[in-house]
Amino acid sequence: MTRTVLITGAGGVGKTTVAAALGVKAARSGLRTLVVTVDPARRLATALGVEELGNEPQPHSDEPDLWAAMLDASASWRAVATRHAEPEVAMRLADNEFFRAASEHFPASQSYAAADQAATFVQAQAWDLVIVDTPPSGGGIDFFAAPAQMADLVGGRLLRWITGGPLPGRRAFYNLAAKPVLRIADSVLGSDLLERVAEFLLDLRTTYDGVAQRGREIERVLGAASVFVVTTSDPAPVREAIKFYRELPGLAVSPAAVIFNRVLPDSWAEATAPEGTSIALEQNLARWSAETLRQRDTREEFSSRYGAHIATIPWSPTPPTDLDGLGRLLDDASLPWEAVGIDAA
Amino acid sequence: MLDKRFVLVSGKGGVGKSAVSAGLALLGQRRGLRVLAMEMGSPGGLSSHFGSGPLEFEPQELRPGLHAMQMVRSDALLEYLALQLGVKGITRFGPFARAFDALATTAPGIREIITIGKAIWEVREDRWDVVIADAPPAGQIGSFLRAPLTISELVPSGRIRTQAETMKDMLGDPELTALVLVGLPEELPVTETEETLDWLAKEDVVAPPTVIANRVLDELTDRDTPPGPVGEAAQLHRSLWAEQQVWLERLPPDHTLPYFHGLFTPGEVAARMADELEVIT
Repeated sequence: MTRTVLITGAGGVGKTTVAAALGVKAARSGLRTLVVTVDPARRLATALGVEELGNEPQPHSDEPDLWAAMLDASASWRAVATRHAEPEVAMRLADNEFFRAASEHFPASQSYAAADQAATFVQAQAWDLVIVDTPPSGGGIDFFAAPAQMADLVGGRLLRWITGGPLPGRRAFYNLAAKPVLRIADSVLGSDLLERVAEFLLDLRTTYDGVAQRGREIERVLGAASVFVVTTSDPAPVREAIKFYRELPGLAVSPAAVIFNRVLPDSWAEATAPEGTSIALEQNLARWSAETLRQRDTREEFSSRYGAHIATIPWSPTPPTDLDGLGRLLDDASLPWEAVGIDAA
Repeated sequence: MLDKRFVLVSGKGGVGKSAVSAGLALLGQRRGLRVLAMEMGSPGGLSSHFGSGPLEFEPQELRPGLHAMQMVRSDALLEYLALQLGVKGITRFGPFARAFDALATTAPGIREIITIGKAIWEVREDRWDVVIADAPPAGQIGSFLRAPLTISELVPSGRIRTQAETMKDMLGDPELTALVLVGLPEELPVTETEETLDWLAKEDVVAPPTVIANRVLDELTDRDTPPGPVGEAAQLHRSLWAEQQVWLERLPPDHTLPYFHGLFTPGEVAARMADELEVIT
């Protein structure tokens, strides 16, 4: 049975570092572990032993039970078309200007691609633990909503709304040109744009059954995962973290813990400089002590308001980018290890 | 920056984009300008810095001279259809509005042009001296700035194309529009800012941006490291400072903003931000 752990949170808070650290720790405790990441910093990618984009997990050369994969989300929409459409339709889709635009701009597409690939790894049953570093778009919450959104998009929502009825065939669509909606749209957008959009959507719609079925599978896999939310103590990422506690219960399980990164030591909170300290150092302590207090207040409020399990990682000027450093990073974090399947002792 | 009519503030998520937008708006208001602050992305960031409740599509006066609004695409679309095309009597949840909204999700450039179009509409209003937009993050700003061009390429005729041409000219006019890119002196924000700068140089849709590095630490000149919290705090500060120097050298910013230690509320942050921006603008 493969356990799944999802690492989510706002961009720039250290999600990938946490995912890598958890991976090293799990591998060293004897679990066959795969870390799946999207767009990591270069130094971290090197530490994980993945240098190139590719959906194929690579075994780590120095760490026996550790694998890593760096997802190429842009290639994945194409994969959706290839997997779920007739070859001829898939080719037409890949060349279609709207398809390219939608895969670049549809906010859920990167998340869907990552969720799809992650679920594939879990279903392969080749690892004890699959750790997924979720893409930062939408603060990560759309990672969970993406399968449904994707099915909705290819389900011909636009066509249903334009026609106000069940999906018409291609011929029926053109006959609708007399409808007032289309007449106005035509005058706004120019002559043939709508027609081209419609052709694209009709092609895309042939993938619907496949995408919808796959979406339900992905949701089942993600729904059984343990979720860790990573944040710093800054207001913006904390606001994102709160979203997971407010919105996630409707989509998957509640987070197992919120991990505060860049935490200052509690001993600084009420510290005062001893006699004889220079003014520069005294002022420096005062400002960092104020920052420590602010951080502590943020954590306490989070814990009391959302009943969250709080874990902490100390603030290090240079987060670890080597295996040993990563392996030690979470030693004192007081994570709920049972959620990962690691024996804490 | 405040001598332009339209200031777009972008940057990687989590770098303080909303705080800088709010600070610029407050500074403009202090200087007696009639300011419209616009949240273009998801709600929450800008309004929290003004200490107001959720913002609405209709601009509200938060303090004398400072209005703020939240971009809502479906409202912007209805307003566009009613005011610019004279299509009346469409309700927000009617089938027509839904059809258009769905089209906007699918066709490239449409949803972006509705959003940026609303912003430009406000810029042209005599009500405001300056419109400050808390713009989409750096990863998405390109598709918004390029939207008028995308539409021109995609739509051979029609009224929306004519309007796209006007928007393109306004965004490209350096006397009118300024882009501010906020970043942090850390690896990923710097890499992403570099990518955005490359893209902007290539596409040439807006004048070269002003780059601001946020949360920059000052140098601690005292090299002493006594035992206990005093020395620990000094050591952390010096190492963080040294790491920041690496990234400041790699991408030298036009301006820097300091780290605000121990500030509790977003309102306090915005006020401090306005003080700091006063010095550099």
